[in-house]
Amino acid sequence: MIHLLYLDPGSGSYLIQVIIAAVLGVIFYFKSGWNWIKSFFVKTPPKTEEEKNESVD
Amino acid sequence: MNQLTNHHPASFRDPSGFIYEQDGLVYRFVSTLYQTDYDLLIGSGLADSLVKQKLLLPFIELNENHTHRNDWYKTLQPKQIPFFTYAWEWSFDQLKDAALTTLAVCKNSLQKGMILKDATHTNTQFVDGSAKLIDTLSFEKYEEGEQWVAYRQFCECFLNPLLIATHRGMEVHKLMLAYPDGVPVGLTAQLLPYKTKFNPSVYLHVHLHAKIAGKSVKEGKTKRKVTQKNIEQILQSLLDLIQSLKLPVKKTVWNNYYDETILSESYLTEKKRTVSSLLSTLNYTSVIDLGANEGEFSLLCNREALVVSADFDSDCIDSFYRLIKEQKLKNIVPVVVDLTYPTPGMGWMNKERPALFSRKKFDVCLALALVHHLAIAKNISFAQLAEFFAEICDELIIEFVPKTDPKIEEMLKWREDVFSDYNENELEKAFSPLYSLAQKLPVTGSQRVLYYFQKN
Repeated sequence: MIHLLYLDPGSGSYLIQVIIAAVLGVIFYFKSGWNWIKSFFVKTPPKTEEEKNESVD
Repeated sequence: MNQLTNHHPASFRDPSGFIYEQDGLVYRFVSTLYQTDYDLLIGSGLADSLVKQKLLLPFIELNENHTHRNDWYKTLQPKQIPFFTYAWEWSFDQLKDAALTTLAVCKNSLQKGMILKDATHTNTQFVDGSAKLIDTLSFEKYEEGEQWVAYRQFCECFLNPLLIATHRGMEVHKLMLAYPDGVPVGLTAQLLPYKTKFNPSVYLHVHLHAKIAGKSVKEGKTKRKVTQKNIEQILQSLLDLIQSLKLPVKKTVWNNYYDETILSESYLTEKKRTVSSLLSTLNYTSVIDLGANEGEFSLLCNREALVVSADFDSDCIDSFYRLIKEQKLKNIVPVVVDLTYPTPGMGWMNKERPALFSRKKFDVCLALALVHHLAIAKNISFAQLAEFFAEICDELIIEFVPKTDPKIEEMLKWREDVFSDYNENELEKAFSPLYSLAQKLPVTGSQRVLYYFQKN
């Protein structure tokens, strides 16, 4: 790896990225869970003719 | 191995290649050390796609080894950058756009199996009206499980100064001048208000980052690996956070300068008309507009010419930058500069990042409603001013504001008038050794005068 020759990413850098990734993963998980729950209560408007045509394409 | 004398002084950190100048053109040397990554950058179509999206500076490959080095792989001729600017000369929106460009490039790279190994602001320049990555050698192959090696650098160069500016009102260019390699994460955590700890993104990227940054952790010690998807999420989170940042609205003395009632409407129209007709008679390819304010007069210049619009008020430059972006003007480069403290040469041996006025000589200089601020507020003599202008330009359009002008009366209201030499005669006398007076035009609707000088 060439970059290690001249750029020091910082020793804690890997750990912080692991933690941020984990937290963002959890947020993403809850968000999609929330959207899943929401989908039971919020009626999605029926597709218009145009949108139907788009999805066929 | 031949040592090049024209090797650019800013290009020594990355062993993958370097920049050099030959016959007035800038080239990039690509070393065999970078061969695999370079082939992937081109072969994957990444370079092409980034150039099309206006995120990467266009370049062409030349099959000519000017350097005669034996580690030569390719010679690249990038599109030549008309005027280099640095983060310590950028306004908030300029730094923000440079950050968004860097993130967009990194996101695109991951989709093609590569990643940015560098994320410094010096790799971004404003060319053709938008922020573009200029370092073609910043890309490397991404291997699953690797971290984003430039993550901390990105935070320190972009995110941290933008956050401090948003929450504390500090100007980004001053922060960047104090910390040219980026504002340290620990300092940022201390400077940001306590409430930012409740913003999940700021907490993660700054406060938690600061806590962990100093800790020594071996890669093998953490069980979890960073995946490509994780890095994509980190990039998205940075993108969302930076996109949401806005400067708090404040009114300075300088924005809306020309809307203030003290200067009549007819004065401004007349001044624009005179400057415009004067400019139309000149032949020029470059202009520097000093004290550009919100760029009203930069806009009068020929659209084919390079126009560098400088002002020390970062809010004015910020709103002018937004305007040129909106109008898609490609020839104007706005910079935040205090003329009494212009950017010095910085970095290794003061040569890595050259001083502002050593970068280029201009054909024309516009200095409108500026000289009285330098002469009266900063006590700079006419002779010093003439010497300064002679160093940066050949032709000069300046405005003289007499002492009887309401603006100057306001400036002298609370101080002693020690400016007995401040008059038209003295100005003409001081400029005469260096410049010849070609035209002297009164501005109707005011007592002000426009001078057009040509260098002797």
